[in-house]
Amino acid sequence: MAGTVPSAPARKLSAGRLALALVTALILLFLVAPIVVVFPLSLSSGELLVLPAPGYSLRWYEDFFTSSRWLSATWNSFVVGIATMILATLLGTLAAFGIFLGRFPGKALLLAILSLPMVTPVIVTAIAMYFSLSLVGLGSTLTGLILAHTVLSVPFALLTVLASLQTFDQNLLRAAASLGANPAIAFRRVVLPLIAPGVATGALFAFATSFDELIVALFIASPGQFTLPRQMYAGLREFLSPTIAAAAVLLILFSVLLLALNEFIRKRAQARGASPSGPTA
Amino acid sequence: MSPNMSDPIIVFDKVTKSYDGTTQVVKSLDFAVERGEFVTLLGPSGSGKTTTLMMLAGFEDPSGGTITFDGRPLNNVPAHRRGIGVVFQNYALFPHMSVAANLSFPMEMQGVGRAEREERVRGALDMVKLGHLADRRPTQLSGGQQQRVALARALVFRPKLVLMDEPLGALDKQLREHMQLEIKHIHEQLGVTVVYVTHDQGEALTMSNRVAVFHHGRIQQLAPPTEIYEKPANAFVASFIGENNKLDGTIAARDGAQCRLRLSDGSEVRAMTGTDLPVGAPAVLALRPEKVLIGPAAAGENRFDAVIEELVYYGDHTRLRLRLGGSDSFTARLTFRDGLPALQRGERIPVGWATANCLALGPEES
Amino acid sequence: MSRRNLLAAALIAPLLLLVTLSFLVPLGATLYRAVDDSEFSTTLPRTTALLRAWDGKDLPPDAAFAAIVEELRTAQQNQEAGAVLSRLNFEETGLRSLLLQAARASARLAPPVKDSLIALNPRWGEPELWRLFKRATGPWTSLYLLRSLDMRPTDKGIVHAGAEDAVFLPLFWRTFEISLIVTVICALLAYPVAYTLSILPQGWANAGMMLVLIPFWTSILVRTTAWFIILQREGPINALLLAFDIVNQPLTMIFTRFAVYLAMVHVLLPFAILPLYGVMKGIKPDYMRAAASLGAPGWRRFLRIYLPLTMPGVAAGSLMVFMLSVGFYITPALVGGSGDQMVSYFIAFFTNTSVNWGMAAALATLLMAMTALLVIVARLIVPGFRSGNVKV
Repeated sequence: MAGTVPSAPARKLSAGRLALALVTALILLFLVAPIVVVFPLSLSSGELLVLPAPGYSLRWYEDFFTSSRWLSATWNSFVVGIATMILATLLGTLAAFGIFLGRFPGKALLLAILSLPMVTPVIVTAIAMYFSLSLVGLGSTLTGLILAHTVLSVPFALLTVLASLQTFDQNLLRAAASLGANPAIAFRRVVLPLIAPGVATGALFAFATSFDELIVALFIASPGQFTLPRQMYAGLREFLSPTIAAAAVLLILFSVLLLALNEFIRKRAQARGASPSGPTA
Repeated sequence: MSPNMSDPIIVFDKVTKSYDGTTQVVKSLDFAVERGEFVTLLGPSGSGKTTTLMMLAGFEDPSGGTITFDGRPLNNVPAHRRGIGVVFQNYALFPHMSVAANLSFPMEMQGVGRAEREERVRGALDMVKLGHLADRRPTQLSGGQQQRVALARALVFRPKLVLMDEPLGALDKQLREHMQLEIKHIHEQLGVTVVYVTHDQGEALTMSNRVAVFHHGRIQQLAPPTEIYEKPANAFVASFIGENNKLDGTIAARDGAQCRLRLSDGSEVRAMTGTDLPVGAPAVLALRPEKVLIGPAAAGENRFDAVIEELVYYGDHTRLRLRLGGSDSFTARLTFRDGLPALQRGERIPVGWATANCLALGPEES
Repeated sequence: MSRRNLLAAALIAPLLLLVTLSFLVPLGATLYRAVDDSEFSTTLPRTTALLRAWDGKDLPPDAAFAAIVEELRTAQQNQEAGAVLSRLNFEETGLRSLLLQAARASARLAPPVKDSLIALNPRWGEPELWRLFKRATGPWTSLYLLRSLDMRPTDKGIVHAGAEDAVFLPLFWRTFEISLIVTVICALLAYPVAYTLSILPQGWANAGMMLVLIPFWTSILVRTTAWFIILQREGPINALLLAFDIVNQPLTMIFTRFAVYLAMVHVLLPFAILPLYGVMKGIKPDYMRAAASLGAPGWRRFLRIYLPLTMPGVAAGSLMVFMLSVGFYITPALVGGSGDQMVSYFIAFFTNTSVNWGMAAALATLLMAMTALLVIVARLIVPGFRSGNVKV
């Protein structure tokens, strides 16, 4: 399949290419179909999750928006998500800049340690949090959940910011210094505007990580701190009501919004040409 | 603390730099730059010239010694408090700011008022003939335009010293030559001190008041361009600046400013000697190809027979590769006013040069 | 330290502090529970001292009999005996009732306590029991780690559980097997998709990429929920199959291994596609043109040039998928049956349901060791592999 020499205009439709296109289309269908199927299910007027639905209505959305449980879970998700995003982005950006600036051995090791929460199986992080947060009296609190989510999502913020610093021209810092800017001003006026897309992407990732997180919430959230995924999981375990499908649809739409936001940031960064100046760079 | 205006503006005193603690990139550097001077640091890559510039700018700390700028030692003065303008090789213009904002930046740091900033930005852009591009982003400019913005930015806050790190390296040949003159004019006009780093000897010779030739972390020679070209201090300078034929030999006899040099094939040459090489010392005979004479013109003390190995026609001149004095790559650069003489490969011809034009040199300082 | 490094340290410090205090320390403390054996010595300190001094031959001194009975009674009265009873009962089922019996009878036991105790239950006269107690005085134990590998420490060394009693080795094997199959399927599906997207005109490629990115950004739980709903007996798939008379009665798909594979591949496929797409995008067509000009036919160009060039993308994606698979919990828990659960499920079980934190910690330790081993092996066999260049 990849054997065909991709020459730009020659787009002849050989049997091989057709088969490849078909296979790709089927796999992409497999990726989106389950997500799409939830939409008609959530709009069913019946009590059961069956297709075709006996009729269509918004009753399950109404149920979602009038249920104190779902609303409190939504509120908690946003509180935890936004707090996590702020903490992770702040700490991750500062540390990324520190790692970028510093000239010391063992950077790789430091980075490995700081991104350990990303490669540790979440269940292990979850039980570690469960044991220790209850020891310091933060079990079953939103603060505890925020702390745990920050630890989980900070590597994403750190690594995205670090990646955008990698394309940052060190000479710009030197230029800023030669023009009289101290490091703090140089960071604010020169570094931050240029790595802003990376910081924004990191923030978005941190928010999404917290917003989608279930396993830690499973261990350290009591019903009062239930987040949307936690509430959904509880629903799946108790009684499979179409409200869950409605909640799933709302979460999917929100994820698409986050994705669109991320693409927007990326496109804008490309258009603004936030790349190092000069033909040699 | 007002520095005496007749004192040098920059003094390097036994400055060394090592990144790993063992190999020294810069070895005990001692030199001074006068106010208003245009000094070029010239050398191959890795010779220590850029490191020297970086230490002056404050981007690197010396491992030893002292750099004095305008009467005060620079040790522990961070780059942003030195007030030295820098033009970077890739210009380092802030891509998220307009041209005017780039120029305004250093004055904002100094706390200059808005009205004066705008006026000085306009003045600086007019100086580099880019007044009409003030609102553009650097990425929307050509390489030459970016270069001039970088120049204007390094000058606009009126530093006493401007450092330039291969500022023309990214430009094509024609633009480069044009910019060389432009920078020279700006220097003459403003009277600012310039320290300029390049590996291009042409650039160094045309622009500078003095040239410092760097090699192996040392200054091999610091002198005006004519002296660098005409009287290289050692074999390295002779071969790095312009083209030189080099023949190995030993000093056979000395006679005031002249000496006799015995070449590896046993023949002897009379040469000028500036350095005090004793009799018996190994030395290198340096002779510029354009000083070589052939045929009847080759008369006098230094006259040899040579075999033509190769003839290459360049239009305005012709090059001969000759077998001579134990070398088979001895080059003569000939211009013929009255048409080309009939020379053949393999032909044996008389070759010679004036004693005043050849130098017996010692090896470089290391 | 230079001014530059001082600044760098100040910038890194807050994050390092956070990660240390709220991740590394809790993680270390948790994993330590896998070897920690302090219940016996905390609750029964005098007995512990006596047993530690005892040489382990025959029976311990009479004082030990008196001490254990008295300390058990006190602990029981103060409601502090639970931990040590669970600990001992976990090592040998039945010890809880043996000890409780002794504690209850303690007031009535006539001196010498030793004889009365043996009269109460002849097990007290067995040196083997006392040696078990002596082992339980800690401070460390290999009990949980050995149990997690279907072994148990005894007087006479380590004993392997029989094939029919083995629980955890098959569990680890199942976790490995499921992860491996999911990884292979993901790699096989990702390759054509990433290739097609990499050669499509930009507009089409972007549209196709959206179909990969939307599931990628949708939470794992939501996607698992979708499968949970779809695979129900009354769900859309069965409805479709019945409507077209492909089957006569609904298929059982939910709570099967098939469902686990389906949902896990769906969840993880984008992780395999994205790095591969990045690598394929970076391959200049010149290489393939050069190979063609050098006379290589299509399939050889693919095998000799394209495949090796794209291998880093396959490796990066596969490693990512495998690492995530090994720790999977939610998806198998929701759509799998009892025989399809992975290690994470049992860690959760021992933490929440059976409250045996030593076992939870031991399984967590082994799971982490498995993951770490995997990363090391991947680094060794995939040249130039760096976890940092997995761009998601």
